[in-house]
Amino acid sequence: MQIRRESAYSGVLMLCLVLLLCFGAVASSERGEERETMVKEQILARGVKDPTTLAAMRTVPRHLFVPGAMSNQAYQDRPLPIGHGQTISQPFIVAFMTEIIKPGPGRKILEIGTGSGYQAAILAATGAQVYSIEIIPQLADSAAVILKQLGFTHVETRSADGYYGWKEHAPFDAIIVTAAAEFIPPPLIEQLAESGLMVIPVGSPFFVQTLMLIQKRDGKTISTSLMPVRFVPFKRADEE
Amino acid sequence: MIGLCNRKHLSLALVSAALLAFQIALLQILATSQWHHFAYLVISIALLGFGAAGTLLALTRRWMTARQAQLLPLLLCCCAVTLAGSLAMTKSLFGGFDSFLLFVDIGEVLKLSAVALLLLLPFTCGALTIGLIFTLETERIGSYYFANMFGSGLGCLLGLAGLSLLLPQQLPPCFGFLALAAAALLLPGSRPATRVVLVVSLALVTIFLVQAPELELSQYKDLRRALDLPGANILANQPAAAGQIHIVDAPVLRGAEGVSLNWSGEMPQAPAVFINGDSIGSLPQAAGGDSPRNASTFALSYALGIPRRVLVLDAGTGVDVAMAIEQGAETVVAVEAHKPLVELLRTTAPTRVSRIFNNPSVTWQTLVSRTWLARDQQQYDLIILPKVGGFGGNAGLFALHEQPLLTREALQQAWSKLSPQGLLTVTSWVDYPVRTPLRLLATLVETLEEAGVTNPQDRIAAVRSWGTLTFCIKRTPYTKAELAAIRSFAKRWAFDPALLPDLRPEERQHFNRLQDDSLFQLFDAVLGPERSELYNNYAFRIKPVDDDQPFFSQFLRWSQLDALISLYGQRNLPFIELGMLVAVLAAGVLSLLATLLILLPLTRLPKGSGTHWQVLIYFGGLGVGYMWTELALIHRFVLYLGHPVYATALVVAVLLIGSATGSALTGRFRVCRPWRWTAATSSILLLYVVLLGTLLETTLPMAMPLRTALAVLVLAPAAVIMGMPFPLGLRLLNQAHRAEVPWAWGINSCLSVVGAAFATLLAVEFGYSLLLLLAATAYLLPTTIRFRVS
Repeated sequence: MQIRRESAYSGVLMLCLVLLLCFGAVASSERGEERETMVKEQILARGVKDPTTLAAMRTVPRHLFVPGAMSNQAYQDRPLPIGHGQTISQPFIVAFMTEIIKPGPGRKILEIGTGSGYQAAILAATGAQVYSIEIIPQLADSAAVILKQLGFTHVETRSADGYYGWKEHAPFDAIIVTAAAEFIPPPLIEQLAESGLMVIPVGSPFFVQTLMLIQKRDGKTISTSLMPVRFVPFKRADEE
Repeated sequence: MIGLCNRKHLSLALVSAALLAFQIALLQILATSQWHHFAYLVISIALLGFGAAGTLLALTRRWMTARQAQLLPLLLCCCAVTLAGSLAMTKSLFGGFDSFLLFVDIGEVLKLSAVALLLLLPFTCGALTIGLIFTLETERIGSYYFANMFGSGLGCLLGLAGLSLLLPQQLPPCFGFLALAAAALLLPGSRPATRVVLVVSLALVTIFLVQAPELELSQYKDLRRALDLPGANILANQPAAAGQIHIVDAPVLRGAEGVSLNWSGEMPQAPAVFINGDSIGSLPQAAGGDSPRNASTFALSYALGIPRRVLVLDAGTGVDVAMAIEQGAETVVAVEAHKPLVELLRTTAPTRVSRIFNNPSVTWQTLVSRTWLARDQQQYDLIILPKVGGFGGNAGLFALHEQPLLTREALQQAWSKLSPQGLLTVTSWVDYPVRTPLRLLATLVETLEEAGVTNPQDRIAAVRSWGTLTFCIKRTPYTKAELAAIRSFAKRWAFDPALLPDLRPEERQHFNRLQDDSLFQLFDAVLGPERSELYNNYAFRIKPVDDDQPFFSQFLRWSQLDALISLYGQRNLPFIELGMLVAVLAAGVLSLLATLLILLPLTRLPKGSGTHWQVLIYFGGLGVGYMWTELALIHRFVLYLGHPVYATALVVAVLLIGSATGSALTGRFRVCRPWRWTAATSSILLLYVVLLGTLLETTLPMAMPLRTALAVLVLAPAAVIMGMPFPLGLRLLNQAHRAEVPWAWGINSCLSVVGAAFATLLAVEFGYSLLLLLAATAYLLPTTIRFRVS
């Protein structure tokens, strides 16, 4: 009797997993053309060349991470509001940040600010192990659900104060802070592995003006300002 | 028993007061829930309501005058209910409409338009009443115009008093009662049904008062984001005319702006302070402990020694005051114009904060910092200017903010207050593309040059962290020991020297790298002989600003707009240079709406009298001239009186009450010669352009009561004369072309709308002196017009 019940449970579990996988497969094949166009026109054209990043951007169904009413705008070259004063970043920014931190199998990455869960999904799609923290419980919950539905088993999420990082899993090969603050928390720098990379976008919720790259080398912390849009306007356009 | 005539006067004054007070409350409601940029929207909606009412009246004059006894109280009831219920009615729209999404979602623009139309209702109903009374009483227009102006002046004071006592969302229903009282005064003689309407309106306004809705904050507003944090709670929520204060605490709120990457200590929890929903910073840490602020570039000046006397300008939450005490300063003078904020932090803030605010070595001065600089006679070892720009490079958002502490004149005054070894320090967030630090450096260099320093680079030091850049200018050249101390401070906290007299290029990007060295090339250009060329050729305006155009954060060059759009995209541009774009957009939309709602319908009026153009020039000139005069004078007197709210209230009240008096005086004139008075106004304004600056500068050291009295004396003659041409013109027009009276009123309102919208743009582009000069010119236009009886 006991064995029967267990096998029944196993059967249900298997069925669920198959359904989940099917859902994931269907979801990822949906709107594939739009994703291809997005990669070609918004990402490749702007200089992101890393094959792992591009493959992840082609695979993850972005439209499932945006609020239903905005699903038709999911692949446009723009950030979109997701509630609670947060946004899902512009596809190019997601790709650019992903390329910088060089994710891939065996890499351990901490994300501060899960938001919609899209960035975590992209990182997980590269094969990296992702730990993602979100301070707004409602966002953390909805991101966890969609990540689970899509079968991203390499992502662990939790709702907590990102300031403290995730000590139990430290050190991290890379840290992505998706919502910049006026300071960079010391525990995050501490939890960054030697030669690790931390990337932080700076700007308004709707326009990233620059990306900060923090590197740890020989115990020294170095910041580098990376400008996605290079701008050296020493001369006015009408003077050129 | 009061006669009908007197009741009409009183009713007119009450509804005028209600509308103006409502306008003031609405300014703060929209600034808190959405953006302070909506100030333009409120003023313009109000004027648009007046204009639309004028038009409606012009088109339906006969019908309305025939039914005036019923219509007047009904319109006032409608005004009271729509005014009192404005927030409740628009709450669902306010909740849905989000100003931050205006540039990313066209649906939001439609929602904003719907909100604007709803808000237009009380103004249109109120203005219809005023206009109808004016039309009926043209013979005694002087005394009715007096009631209108006097009521408006009173409303201004009531609005400000209300904001100091009640939460802004509680105010509209209170002002609704004023409109109801105005309706009750006109009730005798009306039908019983009208009385029923009044009773129902009274019930509705009471319900709106009891059930005043909470303000729905935009999800991108600083305050809302703080309140969304787990465990957030409001420690204080205090109404204030200068801006509603919120202090919010949450376990995850920490204050450590720009702290070094090398800081490994604690970042203690710190409640944050918000004015009208915008964050102004965190409360200071406990004095005596090791604060993270000491590990930021803000602490650069202390690396050079302990200053005895420190002056902190625009002290805000007191973080710089706390740092000065912690670093060992003997005395600190802290200047902050927001008096209720200082009082609140002194009395109700957590003990560690109130201890800083009540520290015997700290003297708090609650007035505009710039006014303090001009009046103060003391010398300081260290003067700290407030930080410039915002994290994330959002300086452009503040393009329309006057920043009188960052003008050439302000820095010269600060420089003159430094002791022989004194230091002046200012910190800026580094923005991309670089604008703020460049203009700041240019202002510092020009200040030194104007003070006779031949080699400014010997007196300027700057260090850069991952996000901030702090400048220190010194009275005397830096010594070798001081330069070594700066380098040691920078090295300890992983900062890079950006400017030092003996700086080597390789020192500039050791810890904090940029993609290229263009920032330093630009710095060198500012310090070198090619500075003027840089001012002319750089894509943004970076030339230092002066008191006449104190818009430090206005960087946009219109000629570069296309280039910026091609670089950043049309959708992104508003997030870089929002301020000016909003002002231009507002001016454009309002001009269009004013034309559609006011001018276009008036073209249906019978033609042939040939006075349309004359009316346009005469009453249009008065409308534009009045608005421009008011705005230019407010600017002048804010610095003179030192308290922005007080100065604004005083200028508006004196102008309105003075104009009311002038208007009442016209009732005694037998002959109407309004052009004499417009010419006189123009002459007085020209005198202001030439003499006012010197007069105010000379008398600035006088005590506050004397300065107030002088302000009233200076403003009153112009105000009285400015009140005369409108009623005199209407009287004359009434004799010559009676049907044109509403058209005149509509034109006046329309041009006031457009004038208000363009006033800020003119001040930003050309300065306040020119605005006043243009106002004088606008008052000259009516002198060319003669209304003749056909």
